[in-house]
Amino acid sequence: MDQARLSARHFLGSVTALRVATLIVLFLAWEAVAASGWLFEGVVPSSFKIGAALWDLLTSGAFYSNIELTLGEAAISVVLGAGAGIAVGLALGRSRFAGTAFEPYLHYLAPTPKIVFLPILLVLFGIGPGSKIAMGTLSCFFPMALSVASGVRQVDPVLLRVGHSFNLGRVAMIRKIYLPALVPPIATGLKLGLGVAIIGCLLAEIKMSNRGLGFLIMQYYSQFRIPYMYAALIVAFAVAALGNALIARFVRLPGR
Amino acid sequence: MSPAAASALVVDGVTKRFTTPDGALTALEDVSFAVRPGEFLALIGPSGCGKSTLFNIIGGLTGGFEGQVRVDGAPIDGAHRAIGMVFQEESTFPWRTTLDNVAFPLEVAGMGKTERYARAKNLIKLVGLDGFENRYPAELSGGMRQRTALARTLAAEPRILLMDEPFAALDEQTRLLLGDRLLQIQQALKQTTLLITHSIAEAVQLADRVVVMTYRPGRVKRVFDIDLPRPRNSEIVSSAAFGHYVAQIWNDLREEAAKGLDESEAIARRTGQH
Ligand SMILES: Nc1ncnc2c1ncn2[C@@H]1O[C@H](COP(=O)(O)OP(=O)(O)O)[C@@H](O)[C@H]1O
Ligand SMILES: [Mg+2]
Repeated sequence: MDQARLSARHFLGSVTALRVATLIVLFLAWEAVAASGWLFEGVVPSSFKIGAALWDLLTSGAFYSNIELTLGEAAISVVLGAGAGIAVGLALGRSRFAGTAFEPYLHYLAPTPKIVFLPILLVLFGIGPGSKIAMGTLSCFFPMALSVASGVRQVDPVLLRVGHSFNLGRVAMIRKIYLPALVPPIATGLKLGLGVAIIGCLLAEIKMSNRGLGFLIMQYYSQFRIPYMYAALIVAFAVAALGNALIARFVRLPGR
Repeated sequence: MSPAAASALVVDGVTKRFTTPDGALTALEDVSFAVRPGEFLALIGPSGCGKSTLFNIIGGLTGGFEGQVRVDGAPIDGAHRAIGMVFQEESTFPWRTTLDNVAFPLEVAGMGKTERYARAKNLIKLVGLDGFENRYPAELSGGMRQRTALARTLAAEPRILLMDEPFAALDEQTRLLLGDRLLQIQQALKQTTLLITHSIAEAVQLADRVVVMTYRPGRVKRVFDIDLPRPRNSEIVSSAAFGHYVAQIWNDLREEAAKGLDESEAIARRTGQH
């Protein structure tokens, strides 16, 4: 047993070493390309320039209002999209009829890039945050609805019979049995949904907007301030990773 | 008092047919028996004779049958509050601790936290799980989970306890000891109990009467009165009277079990040929 633990620690140590080495190699390669001037000037700026741009952004107040806007849009998108996804998933999963009738549509629509809906959303909700929230909501809805619908079908039937034997009504069945049993698929839906909600909002901002993180990225690009563009991208990436970490932390699974 | 009123539970001419890909299947045919208040009745039959079907019908979870199930003289229509069910399958909620599992029926009935926990703790003690209140089912053994399920059912204070092979998945020793525990509880609460089982020893160890069922379609073949002294415990399995009852019941059941065995072998042979 000690042997096993020792070799497990050894394994983890090697993995960490490999990861660090990869980062160092990538960093050096990036710097080499940046210094060589092979690529058009500025496409691969030195990481020190990106670092300086990042510092500049992070110390300027205006930047935060854009982050806040995008984060707020994404948060509202997740609440609306996940809520609607759970409701629709429950309805589809519980009724064999509704599931058979409507689920194929979900399966076809889910992998469709939601950006194709942007023109409609812009007309409906305007150029401001409304259309961004609509994009995020739409993006978050599909993975949640599909995950919950298939989760409902995997709820242990004996637990449902226990509920019926205690005379639970429809609402109590959902609150006391379906929802707790569905915590794992809901967590999966949230994880996938959060990522695509942020992407949805960013994409919508990049395409057409006047504020937000996506707008900044696009603005820096068109002004050819490439280090700033990379800095904003890094922030976007960090925001998405942070969101996922938060969800993984809050959605704990007691007893499982 | 009429004989019907003297019964807590009456199963009257219950017939149940299923439609299967191979045609109609009569699972139960004209099944009738009654359980007296405070009585421990065991229902025994070979696998596939329709025991679980009858369990679900009495519990009000399966409809579409002929005949009637009556509680205190009135026909049931869906799950009846007087009946508490313990299922054959693993049925504790994996996301709830022992305490919250047992308090479940009280919680959905809207009882306050202090009171429902106090009651749940008493029941947990009754089934011998004190000290495990805050464990999740995954941290308990199969026997402990089944006791949790029993305590949860008892929490709703059912007048009739209905159990479908609750110990079937457990080993022999655990089964004997849990049988003792169940008897103590049943005697203490004077709980009217209908236990479905495929174990003759379990039926004789626990019951006042044993109903033997035929194999497919399930019918009542015979009813045995078990005249063993109370209070009983699992020591009784070594007595001569116990052996006598087991032999008698086995005599009746053997024929039915053999039919079941023949049929499953025939099915295995048929499917094996493909
Ligand atoms: N929902 C159902 N549809 C079709 N056949 C069923 C259904 N439920 C049970 N049966 C059949 O009815 C018979 C009795 O089953 P069951 O009540 O589970 O028996 P037991 O509990 O005594 O083993 C079996 O042959 C089984 O295949
Ligand atoms: Mg069964």
